[in-house]
Amino acid sequence: MRRLDKLLFGAGLALAAAGAATSAGAAEIVIGLQCDRTGPTQIVGTHLCPGYHDYVSLVNSRGGIEGHTIKTIEVDHEYKVPAGVEAYALHKKEGAVLISLYGTPHTQALTQKLTEDKIPGTSPGFGTAAAANGENFPYIFPIAASYWSQAAAGLEYARTQLGGDLKGKKIAYIYYDNPAGREPLPVLHKLRDELGFELTEFAVPPPGIEMSAQVLDITRRYRADFVLSHLFGRAPSVSMKEFKRAGYPLEKVLGFVWAASEADIAAAGGFDRVEGYSAMQFAGVGSDYPVLDEIRAMYEADGKDVPEVMASTVYYNRGVFVAAIHLKAIENAIKAKGSADITGEDVKNGFEQISGFTLGGLVPPLEITGFDHEGGGWVQVFQVKDAKFVPVTDWFQGYRGAVVELLKEDASRQ
Amino acid sequence: MFHRESGYYKTTYKGDMALYPLPVGRWSVALIGVLFLVIVPLFLDPYYLSILCLIAIAIVGALGLNILLGYTGQISIGHAAFMSVGAYTAANLITKLDWPFWLAVPSGGIMAAAIGVLVGIPSLRIKGLYLAIATLAAQFIIEWVINHTPAISGGVQASIEVPRPVVFGETLDREIELYYFLMAFAVIAIVATMNLVRSRVGRAFIAIRDQDIAAEIIGINVFRYKLYAFAISSFYAGVAGVLYTYYLSIANYEQFLIVVSIDYLAMVIIGGLGSVLGSVFGAIFVTLLPVVIRIFMDTFGAFFFDPVILAQVTAQFRLILFGALIMFFLVVEPEGLNRLWLNIRNYFRIWPFSY
Amino acid sequence: MADFHWGFFLELVVSGVLIGLMYSLIALGFVLIYKSTDAINFAQGEFVMIAGIIVGACMASYGLPLWLAIALSVGFMVVFNVGLERTVLRPMIGRPIVAIIMATIGLAALLRGAGPFFFGSGTRALNLPIDDAPIIIGDHFIYLNPIHLLGAVAAVLFLLGFGWFFLKSRKGVAMRAVADSHQVSMAMGINVQRYFALAWVMAGVVAALGGVIWGSLLGVDTQLAVIGLKVFPVVILGGLDSIVGVIVGGIIVGVVENLAAGYLDPMVGGGTKDFTPYVLMILMLMFKPYGLFGKPIIERI
Repeated sequence: MRRLDKLLFGAGLALAAAGAATSAGAAEIVIGLQCDRTGPTQIVGTHLCPGYHDYVSLVNSRGGIEGHTIKTIEVDHEYKVPAGVEAYALHKKEGAVLISLYGTPHTQALTQKLTEDKIPGTSPGFGTAAAANGENFPYIFPIAASYWSQAAAGLEYARTQLGGDLKGKKIAYIYYDNPAGREPLPVLHKLRDELGFELTEFAVPPPGIEMSAQVLDITRRYRADFVLSHLFGRAPSVSMKEFKRAGYPLEKVLGFVWAASEADIAAAGGFDRVEGYSAMQFAGVGSDYPVLDEIRAMYEADGKDVPEVMASTVYYNRGVFVAAIHLKAIENAIKAKGSADITGEDVKNGFEQISGFTLGGLVPPLEITGFDHEGGGWVQVFQVKDAKFVPVTDWFQGYRGAVVELLKEDASRQ
Repeated sequence: MFHRESGYYKTTYKGDMALYPLPVGRWSVALIGVLFLVIVPLFLDPYYLSILCLIAIAIVGALGLNILLGYTGQISIGHAAFMSVGAYTAANLITKLDWPFWLAVPSGGIMAAAIGVLVGIPSLRIKGLYLAIATLAAQFIIEWVINHTPAISGGVQASIEVPRPVVFGETLDREIELYYFLMAFAVIAIVATMNLVRSRVGRAFIAIRDQDIAAEIIGINVFRYKLYAFAISSFYAGVAGVLYTYYLSIANYEQFLIVVSIDYLAMVIIGGLGSVLGSVFGAIFVTLLPVVIRIFMDTFGAFFFDPVILAQVTAQFRLILFGALIMFFLVVEPEGLNRLWLNIRNYFRIWPFSY
Repeated sequence: MADFHWGFFLELVVSGVLIGLMYSLIALGFVLIYKSTDAINFAQGEFVMIAGIIVGACMASYGLPLWLAIALSVGFMVVFNVGLERTVLRPMIGRPIVAIIMATIGLAALLRGAGPFFFGSGTRALNLPIDDAPIIIGDHFIYLNPIHLLGAVAAVLFLLGFGWFFLKSRKGVAMRAVADSHQVSMAMGINVQRYFALAWVMAGVVAALGGVIWGSLLGVDTQLAVIGLKVFPVVILGGLDSIVGVIVGGIIVGVVENLAAGYLDPMVGGGTKDFTPYVLMILMLMFKPYGLFGKPIIERI
């Protein structure tokens, strides 16, 4: 065992030296980026985070924001909460003015710390829907449509697909049986009572790799007119296959924002097998956006190949979207302050001034205000047509009044 | 090195029973105490304190698992679920009944212990693999029940926000205050475990681990002591869950999924089965491993990999190393880091006159 | 139960049986190892995952035909498992079961990191050359899923094959002897270590097949490993060391899951599908710990 001891001792010394070498830092604007690249949702992190980095590199390659470069510190937390808390402490130590959170439990665990430290955190497409109320959650910015807004928008889309009226129609809601999956239920119940459609809920327990019973129930016993599918992980692709095999038209299945990425389509067997499947998106999908051309040009100018992850446009574009909103908020903060010496509070105010920033259609027409931290709850529906994602609607909101009412109700309860 | 063990005579039973019979032992414990209670908090950035806070919580949990796995030889893959029982019990008591921390922490532990006993009941008939799978089932069943009982989970989100602990009228909301709060529990847990394992109960645990039928024949009530082990282990887990809830100011079952159970198993195995110090080493090691790998890759990774893929490679490398280390320790050094530490200590004990 | 439909019920049962047999296929690898070497493999799901990833990578990235990809994947699993047995499992013979469980948990983490490290982290399709339109029996009475049918048939063939192997063939009998007692078999001139390696090789081959079948259902990436969690209820219900038990356990789990989803879910308002097999398993552990077909262990000092 002696040799082993010496080996470990040597390794320890090397690591200590490495730790000492990293402690030097430069004066830049620092953003903390949390990712899951190895955990259960790695398929998101491995595509979203490169998109984020690429947009930041693009802005930096043009001289940064008002002449200040941006430094992102990425930490992979493997979807583990302690690792996320540690990552946040690191980001705070490095002087981050903005945290890009990832994961619902992480967002909840850090909400109080972010508020105490006055550092804004963003939770696009996850976290608590009630956090869209900026008066209650001043430092949490969902910036994209929350699950409540998604549910409302999904019903709006169903209405247009079912001839303009939901009254008496049978809607099936198939959901991942975890807090995130159950989150839209209050909106669905409220709108059911208001609009008079029939709603049945079908739970898919995690990990959701097998759901023939639920799909049989929807298609053969309940005989739904329209299906809202709020699934995560591997479940969306399984659901696509099951609906197809049950002979149910995929045009009548609408996924929430985590239910349709290129990876899900590949897992379901490829684009040609799930023709007609559609899903809501909170950032544009596809390669036809000017900002993506600019990123490709940046790689080519460096003499590098365009990375493979760019082909996975759903998550990659979301990374670009999140980075773009972040940098816009920082830009607003710097402009308001007149210097790069900004704090988290300045960035919070920067977020609340974002409006009419669409990045050539990749970003929805968000209007983030002091109350509305999700910027209106915009989504766009993309459908699989001719072996690719095609937008079938413009950016739209659904039953915004009902969602805002619920947000206010939730605020008064606390 | 700096001391000789000869020349100290134990003239009383009390002296013989002391945790640290030698003055050098007492001095080094005092030194470590001063280091961690006075010097470290004064000079460290809150970031490092937050890592120490997480380590303190992990120590409590790892000690609990080590009592069950290392001392009693009963495996549990549901440790995280017991943590969640403690967390939700305390969160409900704190938010609904306004209980202070000194009531909430033990009651979370007691509730976890009660559930632990329930899960431990099959351990009379089954052992080894069967018990492992039974505790795995307990993990899923507890998760499911919490997730589907709004009375426990506090509604659709299954998460309950908890105010910061108040100690002597002072709300602990700074990192340094939380550090002292959590460190106090870690120290209590360490001392309690050290005393437990040299008590009658602890020796019965060890007898059961080494050969349960033989233990029964020499008059140990195996069933009762196995249940004690489950209860005590789950109590620690419950307390760790409550501390966690206080530290994050939220109870959420997604913080206590099966991966957390596996992390705790890794702590106990890498640290050293059946050793208090080993649990501490393991908790430190598993908590620090991702941090150290990140620092290492940030510094040297650019020499080996393209920066575009570096983040991805770092993440996968960490997972590979984590798995490889568990296997390495099991195959090469089953007694874990604790054995390495003892080797080093024994080497220096007689140094420089080793022959 | 006012609206009880026989058609719906039958459909749940039929699809449950088919899926259950596909679970059996995964559980088979686990039982093969336990039966022959007394080792517990918590990384069976990761074996399936890595085999599936290799098939997917060979087809998508190198354009190999399906049969060659499967052959390569089987070959890799054989080599990998022989190496694994020599370096990790063999030094651990005679160590407490807890240590072996932990070692395979470590192996699982390693494979989850290594799979994407070497073969890329993207999700790939693994399409078998069969149509995914349903097979309809009777006038819209029962919809059958072709891939489920194929998986179930493959599982039954494999299970029967291994049943025959253990009962009739010389090697199979030797393996059972090894499982019974290492020392006695050694005394009888059986090369115990070779049979240990053989058991791991067979588990690798079964995992490769499982990877192809489940991979074609779920797509291949690290998520495929979650199938490993289905193994435990199956083996506990059936008995850890019984091939018949694996079939019966698989079918029970598949059917119970489907009936729970169909009839229990609407009552409790939550997903009970993955939860009921575990409850069933706990009951089994309490009343008949060695499963329906398992061999009780008698311990002596």
